[in-house]
Formats: sequence, structure tokens, C-alpha cells
Amino acid sequence: MFSRRTLLAGATAIGGVSLLPAIAHAKGIVTAATYPGVWEDAYRSIVAPALKKKDDIELELQPLFAVDQIAKAKAARGAPPFDAFVLDPGPRITAIEGGLFEKFDGKKLTNASKLPAGMIDEWGVCVNAQVVGIAYNPKKVPAPKGWKDLLTDPWVSRLGLTGFQTTFGTVSLIEIAKVFGGSETNIDPALVELKKVLSKVAAVGQPAAMPSLFQQGQCDVMYTNTQTVATLKSKGVDIDFVKPETGAVAFFTTLHLAKGTTEAENAYKYCDIVAGKEVQEALTKPPFNFIPINKDVPLPDYLPMKSLDEMSSYVRHDWAKINPLRASWIEKFNKEMAK
Amino acid sequence: MRKAAEWQLALPLALAFASIFLAPLLMLVGVSFFNDDKITQPGFGQWAKFLGDPFSYKVIADTMLLGVKTVCATVLIGYPLALVYLDASPRVQKVLIFIIVMPLLLSVVVRTFAWIVVLGREGVVNTVLMQIGVISEPLRLLQTELGLVISLTQIEMPLMLLPLISVMSRLDPNMRDASAALGASRWRTLFTVIVPLSMPGLVAGCLLVFASSTTAFISQTVIGGVRLIYLPLLIWQQSLVVFNWPLAAVVSITLLVSVLSVVSALSYLGRRSSGYLHG
Repeated sequence: MFSRRTLLAGATAIGGVSLLPAIAHAKGIVTAATYPGVWEDAYRSIVAPALKKKDDIELELQPLFAVDQIAKAKAARGAPPFDAFVLDPGPRITAIEGGLFEKFDGKKLTNASKLPAGMIDEWGVCVNAQVVGIAYNPKKVPAPKGWKDLLTDPWVSRLGLTGFQTTFGTVSLIEIAKVFGGSETNIDPALVELKKVLSKVAAVGQPAAMPSLFQQGQCDVMYTNTQTVATLKSKGVDIDFVKPETGAVAFFTTLHLAKGTTEAENAYKYCDIVAGKEVQEALTKPPFNFIPINKDVPLPDYLPMKSLDEMSSYVRHDWAKINPLRASWIEKFNKEMAK
Repeated sequence: MRKAAEWQLALPLALAFASIFLAPLLMLVGVSFFNDDKITQPGFGQWAKFLGDPFSYKVIADTMLLGVKTVCATVLIGYPLALVYLDASPRVQKVLIFIIVMPLLLSVVVRTFAWIVVLGREGVVNTVLMQIGVISEPLRLLQTELGLVISLTQIEMPLMLLPLISVMSRLDPNMRDASAALGASRWRTLFTVIVPLSMPGLVAGCLLVFASSTTAFISQTVIGGVRLIYLPLLIWQQSLVVFNWPLAAVVSITLLVSVLSVVSALSYLGRRSSGYLHG
């Protein structure tokens, strides 16, 4: 019979041996935050194997919304729970103001020359573009020309609205405000005009519910990004994208190194592989439908631009000005839209 | 000595509760007493802002009213169903229990999105009504309070039925026979014997449905849309969109206190009815 001591020793040995393959094979590891859902799926199935193959680095993904990334990094106080952030422009500004990023050295990216000018700055690198405009069902309504059309018949009675919760919702409402005399910091004209037609509007919903509402015919016009349009189209939904006459809106999603990361070199390699042609091209394919930022990657047909350079003429917004106003805008939207 | 040992045995569980429930709750209360979203200036600013805005009271009242309407609807549909269960054969009872429990096996997200398909402009209800000629234009069912109450009634129904059936199954069948033998009609037996005896189950069901429907963020926002504003939506906006955690904490505590007040009142009613029946 085995004594307890022998058993313990044996178990320890077995446990120790089971760890060996991982130690032997993993040259490095990097922990990256990513958005839950499509982003997580895409990064798990495309980026992780590519990083493992090229640099022998294990990619550990933490699916977290932007606010959770910032909250966790703030709570960790210099010992970040992940090495890299992925953020939209609004939260990016919040994180910069909160001192949550390491300075970013673009020279460490071998793919830097493949990105259009301005895609790398002192805080991070753009890895995905988003183009926001108007989506409509061509079998139900004619193509609207611009933001103003959304508030007139026949579109208004088929319109699906969302508020300021998301980046695409915020920029769309700003553009509607601009058409009626507002600006990047004054969205009141949009709310005034929306209130006039509110009883006609088909749906005012949560951003996450809008694709389902469109798919089910609850609304036939909405503001959204090209990625949502491509995803719905691939599911057989009748949907087309219109670039508004005042211009489509563009913004970028960026990767950043977390302040205090101990895996900076591996994090740079992670950023580099995401910006590379192979990964960027794979991410443009269904079901992910990302907009690439690498100049060597051909743009999908459904996009409103022929080249990435064309995007420089698209409408951009200053989130340093928008962020401080957003809370009051949400409050106003609640009160104006409430039944 | 023995009592001391028992007390010590309960200590790990008490400590676990304190650390995972009580401590976060105290932190929530603490955070609410800061004026700024960076949580640096202590004060009552967020409470003053929330409680000084008449819109907040409308949202609180709407949230509580939604709970009351859902409770009423689940009682109206659930109670007769429980009576059917009571009179059914054991085999039918098994089938009924399976049907009642089945929705709990599905994620609330799936159930909620399924209601978009049912209540939508081109959904099942509108298509059927238009095909049989009852309506010529689709009804607006989604993003209305009616649609939300209908879907919450289905979603919360197991929470009403399970305690109700559990209590009603233990009723002595002789009570009904005795009532009938004394000349009471079936309706009189129902209202003077069965309903009072099933009150503890009914109160427990109401309590669960109320607490669950007033806090059902996903159903409220997906089915109701964002024009129907309830407290969970405000919490989500403040905590996850604008990062104003102190205000989110204020709204959370308001929701907690509002729901607890109603739940405590229901619980008191339940205890009284239970005491009345057994004492």
C-alpha cells in the first residue's frame, strides 16, 4: 500500500509534470482586453493563432467593455490586469486623462509603414475603422439623401433611433444637430426636431437591439456603422448603406499598452500582428466584417470609400469636447424622449 | 460550550456573506456620498441632484407600477393555471410542471429577443391578426408598456406558479369536500377556502415576480425601448456609459429601497395570512 507521504509526492510530481509542456512551449504571453461578442470571436479565432504562429506568444483575451477596461485599470493602480487596451475614441480620451497608458513607440511596429498617416500616435495604434451613416431597407423605403431626410416622410415613420450610449449613436445625433444649426457641442437642435416627430418614429431602442428590430421590420431606416450593415446583409436582410450628403462619419478603434505592463515587448508584437496584412484581411471577411486599416488590404465592395485615404475627408469629432458633455446629453435625451 | 461551537461553525458562512454581500453594499452606499464622478469630493450632491429632479420620481413611480401590473397579470393567468394543475391527474401534472419550468431553462436574453419576433410589426401576432382580417395596419406592440407587460408576464410566470403550486399541492382535499358538503358553491369554495389557504404561496409568487420584473433590465430595454424609462436603465447609463458611479449608486440604492419596501409589505402580508391560517 502507498503511504500518505508517497501519494502526496506522486501527486505533486504528476501535477508538476502536467505544467511542463506549457512552460516548455510558451515563449511568451500577452493578456489583452477585447470587446465581448464579435471582437472576442474574431481575436480568438484569427489574432491568437497568428500571434502564436509568428512569435510563439500566447494571447490571453479578457472580454471587457470599454468602461470595464478603464475601471479595472484604475482599480489596479499601476499593476494592470491586462497588457493592452482596445478602445473607441471617447473612452480613449478618458484613459489618457486618467494616465492609464504607457507611451507608445510606433517604431516598434514592423507594419507601421503599411498604415495611412496619423494611424499611430504617442498613445497607441489604430487597428479598425468604423464608418457611420444611414442604413435603410431598399424594398420598403427610397434611399435617403442625408440626415435631414430621416426626420421627414416617408423615412421618419420607419425610423429607428438610439441615444448617446454608443459612439455611433452620439456621432449620428451630432450630425443631425449640425444639419439643423447645432454643432459638436450643441445637440439641442437635434432634440428639438426629434421631439416634433417623435410620435411618428417607429422605434427608439437600445443600440444592441437595433439590428434585431431592423431584421424584424420594426424599423426600416436607422443610423449605424458599415459593419452592422454587412453582418445583416450576410444574413439575408434587405439593407443598404447610404453615405449622407454632408459626409459619412469615421472614427477609429485603437490598441494601447497598459501603464505598468510587464509584457511591453509582447504587447507590441500583439499590436503589430493585429495591424498586419494577414490578420487585417481575415478580419474583413464575414462574419466579422471589420474595416481594415492596412493599405495592402483591399477594401470590401460594400464600403462607401475606394481607399483608406478617402476616409480623411470623412467627418471626424473631437471627443475631448464631447466626453464632458455626454452625461448631460443622455439626461436630456431621456427627458425629451420619455413617454 | 456546545452553543459556542455551533456559533463558530456558522462563522465561515457569515464571513463569506459579509465579504461578498454586505461589504459591496456598504461600498455602494459610501460611493453614493461623493459629489464628483472621480469619487474625490465627499458630499450629498448626487442625492440632491437625483431627489431634486421631478423626473426621478416619475421614473421611480413607473418602475413600481410596472412591477404591480406584471404581478396582476401573472396572478390573473397563473392562478387559474394552478387550479387546473391541482385538479389534473399525476401524469398531466408532470407535463404541466415541465411546461412551467421550461422557460427557466432558457436564457432571459433569448426569451426577450424571441418576444421581438412575436410582438414586432411583422411579427407573429400582427401577421395572424392581419391574415384573419381583424386589423388592416400592424398594431404597435413592441416598445409599448402593454407589450412589455405581456412579455414580462410570460418571462416571470414560473416565479409565480412554482410557489403557488407548491402551497396548493399541500392543501387537504377534504377541505373542499367539506365546503361542498356544507352547501357552498364552487365559487364560494374557491374564494372562502382555497384562496385564503393558498395565500402564502400567492404572496411568495407576487414577491418574486415584483422584485424580478422591476429589475428586469434586458426585457425593459429591449422590449420596452428607451422611451419607457425605468430605474435599471438609469443605473446602466450612469455606471456603464457616463462613468458617474456616485449617481449610479444613488439610483441603485433608490431601486433597492423601493423594491425592498414593497417586498417587505408583501412579506408582512404573507406572514399575517400564514398566521391566520395556522394560528
